[in-house]
Amino acid sequence: MTVDRARAVIVEFLQRANKEFGELTDDLSLYGGGLELDSLEAAELSAVLEDEFGSDPFSTGDTLPETVGEVLAFYNAA
Amino acid sequence: MIELLEAAVAARPDDVVVTSPYGTTTYAELHRDVQAIATALVERDLRRIAILDPDPAHVLAVLAACSRVGVEGCVYPLAPTDDAIDEMVARFEHEVVVTGRGISSPVVGYAELAATTPGDLPALPESRPIMAMTTGTSGFPRGVRHEWDRLLRTTHKIKPAPEQRWLLAYGLNQFGGLQILIHVLAAQAMLVAAESFQPRDALDAMRASGVTHASGTPTFWRFLLAEIKSDGGAVPDLRQVSLGGEAVPGALLDRITERFPNANISQIYGATEFGQNVTVRDGRPGLPISMLEPGGDVEFKVQDGELWVRSKASMLGYHGEEEVPDGAWRATGDLVEVVGDRIEFRGRKTDVVNVGGVKVHPIPIEDRVSKVDGVSLVRAYGRPNPMVGHVLAVEIVLEPGYDEKAVASEVRAVCADLPPAARPRSIKFLDTMTTTGNKMLRGAGR
Repeated sequence: MTVDRARAVIVEFLQRANKEFGELTDDLSLYGGGLELDSLEAAELSAVLEDEFGSDPFSTGDTLPETVGEVLAFYNAA
Repeated sequence: MIELLEAAVAARPDDVVVTSPYGTTTYAELHRDVQAIATALVERDLRRIAILDPDPAHVLAVLAACSRVGVEGCVYPLAPTDDAIDEMVARFEHEVVVTGRGISSPVVGYAELAATTPGDLPALPESRPIMAMTTGTSGFPRGVRHEWDRLLRTTHKIKPAPEQRWLLAYGLNQFGGLQILIHVLAAQAMLVAAESFQPRDALDAMRASGVTHASGTPTFWRFLLAEIKSDGGAVPDLRQVSLGGEAVPGALLDRITERFPNANISQIYGATEFGQNVTVRDGRPGLPISMLEPGGDVEFKVQDGELWVRSKASMLGYHGEEEVPDGAWRATGDLVEVVGDRIEFRGRKTDVVNVGGVKVHPIPIEDRVSKVDGVSLVRAYGRPNPMVGHVLAVEIVLEPGYDEKAVASEVRAVCADLPPAARPRSIKFLDTMTTTGNKMLRGAGR
């Protein structure tokens, strides 16, 4: 399933970016109070997702995703 | 240019001047055609003409004939569509195109001109113009007007060297190509042209014709090294390697030195507009800071991080625009930084990537990544991104037998100490890479 691969891409990215995270729950924020991604890290996440799947929720949607669940939902719907 | 040809034909008429897929031409044969074409140009009362012909011997003959009788010749790029050529004819107001192509503009075939019975020619005219074209990477190419006398003013320093075989790795519509023609004639040497300007074809021609001297863009050399490595065939025994037209990364100089141990390595800095090149032979990237001293034929200054130049061989001006006054400074579009005793190139002004408001130069990043084991070719560029405008992205062609994941992680490691905006945020692996005019496109991204 695409959504599982998306989850794997996110995990790999977070490990590479030295982000501490426990479980990747749907309501985990990408930014403050959650994964604490800065703008360049969020930009990188969108780029690696696009590299992998050809599209990504940051570039395509009307609003930027704010949680892990919103990112995964994009691939669930696809 | 005609004077160089006449000296060569007197000294060695039967030497080959051009070898290409279209055949070989000796100096005597070339000279005969030039006499005929010059006569034809006078008979037809032409002033400004274009040449569009894939055979470099034809281009050379027409340019030399033009220079004999003061006709302004201009070499067109080979690739464009018929419509694009008609647009150039209209824009540059050319009276006729010497070509075998069926375009709507007035044309004349090379064979027809060369079949003219050579007649008495008038004395050398005082003004002998030539028009070169900019590559036009940002919009329609501009016509750059030069005088032959200015372009040839340093050729007296070139000694005859008939043993030299020069590869033509630039289109003759490019100023780099014109410089090679001038050099070959002045050295009374041989020009070797390949099927195309692609490094693969160039390598075949180098091997088949025993090329000893070659000049190309850094991108050309990077691809050529990759071709040699991947086919495992003979390494051409080059005596001279020249690089120009783009910033030259230090890692590439090291690789060329290693690959061509018998070659002198020169970096050429020039532009269509300033007519004369500066050559650096010390094997280090960038220009020596002594270039900033006033008084040379070509003078430089650094202003707001950009290199400015003025040249005694400068163009007269662009076609259809006002003449440029003698001694006028002009911006080169090349961003530089003075580091110690060196003027180091950071890239083209148009190549700068804006990452969230931070300006990032792709060249130094390519230079770092190119040193990673397993990286055959690399391009760094700005990739559009909704959050920060652009991110810095790299594309890599691997050498055989390397693992993508391992190389990607090494690439990240060598870039880890860069400012965050300059770190590659996307690393893609490709089978091949394409170029334009053997130059790498960076700034605009996709």
